[in-house]
Amino acid sequence: MKELVEYIARAVVDHPDAVQVTQVEEDGRTILKVQVADEDRGKIIGRQGRVAEAIRTLLRVAAIKQGTRATLQID
Amino acid sequence: MEKPEPASLEISAKTVDEAVEIALKELNLSREQVKVEVLKEGKKGLWGLGTESARVRVTAQLEGPNLEAVAVEVCHQLLRFMGIKAQVTAVDPPPTVTTPVSLDIRTDDSGILIGRRGETLAALQFIINLMVGRRLHGEAGVSLDVEGYRHRHYESLQNMALRVAERVTATGRPVTLEPMPARERRVIHLALADRPDVSTQSTGEGDARRVEIRPKQ
Repeated sequence: MKELVEYIARAVVDHPDAVQVTQVEEDGRTILKVQVADEDRGKIIGRQGRVAEAIRTLLRVAAIKQGTRATLQID
Repeated sequence: MEKPEPASLEISAKTVDEAVEIALKELNLSREQVKVEVLKEGKKGLWGLGTESARVRVTAQLEGPNLEAVAVEVCHQLLRFMGIKAQVTAVDPPPTVTTPVSLDIRTDDSGILIGRRGETLAALQFIINLMVGRRLHGEAGVSLDVEGYRHRHYESLQNMALRVAERVTATGRPVTLEPMPARERRVIHLALADRPDVSTQSTGEGDARRVEIRPKQ
């Protein structure tokens, strides 16, 4: 799941080196925290949140395949 | 640093056609090599009052074997990271001129990959186009299908459009369809484009945008 979010995030921002994804387990669910350069926040969220929403949709599939639930958090 | 944005321009002019023409000159491309989004239609106004200029966004349309290879690679990687075993192949030739690359995905997980009302497939397609477009600097225009799901869905939309068109002609009354995403509305517009008896028009905003089928006088 972490790899998925990293792969997408690095490809859509202007500063891929600044992308950091951390995976935390909390109450039986997985939280993926994404950190990007300040000026890249808009890129990862997208117009009307479309990019973040699409990442969440794909993440849901990755989580189901691993038998867990995952949340995407953009810091 | 290399500029990561796609070759894209926003131009204002008196009319949409004029704005497109200016943008094509600037980009040094022909009409077939670009995708045009009309941001504002523009208004003529009356004796110079209420005149509004038209605004368009023109983006270079990518094509060719490189686009195909990158699209397959990105799709393959995404599916791998999602934990879905699949085979990705480019459909040759692509089904329409406006779709330079069409990928077909074969997998045992087709249900989960398509998602409710196709929303997972739509998200995957959106992300692939974003990633490929950024990598190659242009409009990628990749369309995805899972074992012919889209194809069958589009066929049923076309059939529905034809049935409704018959009804509109018979009753002489316009019919407004359910809200649909842009790609599906396009299928309806194209299915009825050559009909002498009806015309189509999209109305409403965002998720509520829907196609209206009207009798032609």
